[in-house]
This record gives sequence, structure tokens and C-alpha cells, in this order.
Amino acid sequence: MKKKRYFTPTDLMLSVMFLLFCLFIAYRIKVGLNYNWAWDSIFQFLFRFDNESNSWVSGLIMTGFYTTIRLSIWGILFATVFGVVSGIARTSSIPLFRWLATTYVETMRNLPPLVIIFIAYFFVGDQLLYPLGIDDWAETLSPTGQNIITVLFAKPSQLTSFLAALMTLAIFEGAYITEIVRAGIESIDRGQWEASHSLGLTRYQQMRHIILPQTFQRIMPPLAGQFISLIKDSSIVSVISIQELCFQGIEIMTGTLHTIEIWIVVTLLYLTLTLPCSLVVERLENSMSRGVH
Amino acid sequence: MNVKKLGDHIITVDKVCKTFPNGVKALCDFSTNIRRAEVVVVIGPSGSGKSTFLRCLNGLEEIDSGEIIFDGIPLDHDKKNRLKIRREMGMVFQSFNLFPHMTVLENIMLAQKLVRKSSTGVAKDVSMELLEKVGIQDKVSAYPGQLSGGQQQRVAIARALAMKPKVMLFDEATSALDPEMIGEVLDVMKTLAREGMTMICVTHELGFAQEVSDWVIFMDQGKIIEGGTADHFFSNPQEERTKLFLSQIL
Ligand SMILES: Nc1ncnc2c1ncn2[C@@H]1O[C@H](COP(=O)(O)OP(=O)(O)OP(=O)(O)O)[C@@H](O)[C@H]1O
Ligand SMILES: [Mg+2]
Repeated sequence: MKKKRYFTPTDLMLSVMFLLFCLFIAYRIKVGLNYNWAWDSIFQFLFRFDNESNSWVSGLIMTGFYTTIRLSIWGILFATVFGVVSGIARTSSIPLFRWLATTYVETMRNLPPLVIIFIAYFFVGDQLLYPLGIDDWAETLSPTGQNIITVLFAKPSQLTSFLAALMTLAIFEGAYITEIVRAGIESIDRGQWEASHSLGLTRYQQMRHIILPQTFQRIMPPLAGQFISLIKDSSIVSVISIQELCFQGIEIMTGTLHTIEIWIVVTLLYLTLTLPCSLVVERLENSMSRGVH
Repeated sequence: MNVKKLGDHIITVDKVCKTFPNGVKALCDFSTNIRRAEVVVVIGPSGSGKSTFLRCLNGLEEIDSGEIIFDGIPLDHDKKNRLKIRREMGMVFQSFNLFPHMTVLENIMLAQKLVRKSSTGVAKDVSMELLEKVGIQDKVSAYPGQLSGGQQQRVAIARALAMKPKVMLFDEATSALDPEMIGEVLDVMKTLAREGMTMICVTHELGFAQEVSDWVIFMDQGKIIEGGTADHFFSNPQEERTKLFLSQIL
């Protein structure tokens, strides 16, 4: 059913205009900006040769990038767990559960993310995680244990603040996933509940075998979209000094004043994370609109 | 027609009332008894409460007053009783309601495994037997979306039968089907009726009522207006409303 596309004169005109616009921007940057390009000094922030260990090691930007990846992967995992649990609670027949989940969602959705980050960070970090003594525990681990912790989460000395930031991010994004899950559950035809009811399934069995599997199929596109948001929003935790990609970008920018180069690199790195997700979303949406069961 | 023996009362419905929150009185003082192996056909105009009657029987709707007793178990607020009762009643819906994310075989095996705790092997054997009975053994691994309406409804019947129910409820099982598929579903229902399954069928298929029913109930505005054999209904109905209704659909 795809229509054949023709390249019309209008298209040609628009393309030329766009090209001219790009040239103009390039010209402004070259001439008007009076900017001292220093691409060669940027590379050391990606990778540099360490004379002590005689090997290549990651620079500040790459370590920040890894932290962003860790935050994103764990964040997606925990946000999904929070979102699914409270999404189910939102549709529960028990008023208390519904009420708790609604309060959670409304609080998160009606506050600026920055405010939530500060409140949750200091509450989660200082009140819940510090008393547990996670840093101290991590420091007592064997070197291998410490390495594993470092690869999976963060250096033992930064473990508590990393976990606090991670939980804050997950709680925040979980609220949006809650709404996606709730809408998904509510979109399932009433007949599915009735048929499984009349077969004698318990409510738990109905959820587990009939409703949730269909819900997940249906909400994959918006869910993946929310994962992209989470990756982008992970930059917020730079304000609480988590050394992720944006934080490192700001640091290096203040140190070197190579503003444009730094942010171009940061932009490209974020895109390597989010673009593949976007493509996956598009695939999912296409396959769903074609009505694959 | 073969003569089968009807048993004792398996369902007793006594003065049941059901009013929906919007004020619609769907059932008022509704009383009837169903005997084992009996095939009861329920007819009546749209909105007369036929579906509500079936849905109250298996606990999809809660009744406001009156009493329903199924095989000695009262259908009250006790969750265990309600669960026990709906496990013994199969229901077939107008819109099939198959589980679209499962194959035909999985649809039929699900409740056997979850509710009856059958092993996969046993559940599969039972399912294959039932699929053969309803005539779609070649579609075991198809998904519901790949089947015709008539095939879907026959799978839905097999799915309900897999629980080995004591009673089967049919709510306009053929109303959503194209005319050429109605026959194949009715044939399955007739076979079941002849085998002695206790059935309550809401249907507009008067031929079906004539052929296999033991009792016909005519409902209007949440009440039973008239009950009798199919012959009684088609030869000399007593009530004016029954005559009017029959003249409209015949
Ligand atoms: N969930 C509900 N909430 C409010 N009113 C309802 C609900 N379900 C049914 N009703 C009303 O109750 C009455 C009886 O409905 P019911 O579905 O039992 O009729 P029916 O005899 O099955 O009709 P049809 O032949 O159209 O299926 C109707 O007036 C209907 O509008
Ligand atoms: Mg109805």
C-alpha cells in the first residue's frame, strides 16, 4: 500500500533552502564565532595512554559515559519493577493499594524532576542507604569483589551515592511507567477477564496468565519510549554530583573552555544510546500496526 | 428424538433480584429450577435480562437478594463457594473471548493445568480429544486470530468443556457468526445436548430449541413470563407477550 514517492520541484526547492541554511550556520561558526577549535585536545578525555600502567585507559568522558550506561540499565530495570508493581496496584480491587499508587504517581508527575531529585536523594541517601553502611561493606570486600562492584555499579567509595541516584531515577521514571502499565491493563477487553473468570482462574492467575502477557505485548512501544526518556533524564543526577556523562562534560568544559567540541562529543554519545532504542520502538510500532498477534 | 432421563435439581434459583447501579432492574423475583441433563433455552427481547441471568449464575454479577444454589453449594459472598461454583460451570460467550496470545491448544490446556492441576500430558490428551469432538484437530497450533468465527467459537466450547463442567451456559453463542458458520456451532451444541450435558442456552435459534430443548423460558423485563416445552411454545403459547414476541421473530 506504499505510495510511490516522487521528488517534486517543491522538494527540490526545500532541499536547496535547507542546504543553504546549513552552509550559513557553518559560515557563522567559522567566521562569526571566532572560535578556537581544538579537536586534538579532546581525544585525551575519551581515551589516553597511561604511562604508569603502560596501557590505554578511558578518559573522563568515557568513564562518565559508562556511568550513564550503568544508570540507564539498572534504572530501566528498577523503574520497570516499580512501574509494574504500582501499575497493578492502580488497577487493584483493594482501595488502599489504589490509593497508595495514585499518591505515588501524582506526587512524581506534579513536581519538577530537579526538586524530586534533591528530596529523594537526600532522603534515600542519608536516611535509608547511609545507615546501612554500604560503602564500608564494599570496602571490606576482596579486590575481585570490589572490581565486580565497580564494573556493575560504581567505585566502593561512591557506591552509596550511586545507588541513591539510581533509586531516585527509578522512582521518578517508575511513576510514568505506572501509568503506561495501568492504561495497558485497562485496555484489555473485559471479555478476557470474564472468560478466565468463568474457567475458574483466581485473580492472581488471571493477571499472571491472561492480562499481563497481553498488556506487555501492547505497551512495548510506549515502554521503550519511556526507557529513552530515562536515558536522557539520567543527566539530571549530575546536579547531585554523580559523575555521569553530563557531569563530566560540565567539568571538562569549565576546565578547558572547549565548550563546543565537548558537547558535540557528549551529544554523539547520548545518541549512540538513544537512537538504537528509537529504532526498536519504530520496529515495534510497525509490527503492531500490522497486527502481529 | 431419543428420550433421556432428567435427574434431580442441580440449580435452584429462588426469587433472585438484580438491580444495576444505574437503576436498571435486570432481574426481579426470578425463580426457576434446572435439572441434571436438562437443556433449557432462554428466549426474550433485547434487554430482558437473559445475559444477566447467566452472568449471575456463574458469579460474574452479584445478586442483590434471593438465593442461587448450585449442586448443594449456595452462591453467597463466600469466595471459596463462588470459586467452586464457577469451576463447575462452563460459559460460552457471544464474542468467543479466546486468549489471543495463546495457541488453540494452550487455550484449552490452560485451565486444566492451573485449576485442575492436570499434568501437561494429561491436559494435552484431553484437549486433543475435545478438539476432535468439535472438529478442529488440525488447528491445534494456530492462534485465535487465524481462525474463522465458527472455528473460534468451537474452540471456546472445547475450552469450557476441558474443565469437565457440570453445567454449560451459552450466551447467544451463534449471534456474532456469519450465517454459514452458525450450523457448525449449533451441531456441536446439539451433540452435547444429546450426550446429556446440562445446558442453559440463550439463543434466537428456535430450530435448536425445537430439536433438543427440554424446557423453554420466555423472559421479559427481568421476569419469566412463560415456561414450557418447545412444542407448547410453538403450538399454543398462552401469554399475549409471548405470542407477540414469537410472531416478531418467526
Ligand atoms: N453492567 C451493566 N450496567 C448497567 N446496566 C446493565 C448492565 N448490564 C446490563 N444492563 C442492563 O440490564 C438490562 C438487562 O440486560 P441483559 O444484558 O441481561 O439483557 P439481554 O436479555 O441479554 O439482552 P440482549 O438480547 O440485548 O443481549 C438491560 O436493560 C441492560 O441495559
Ligand atoms: Mg445478552
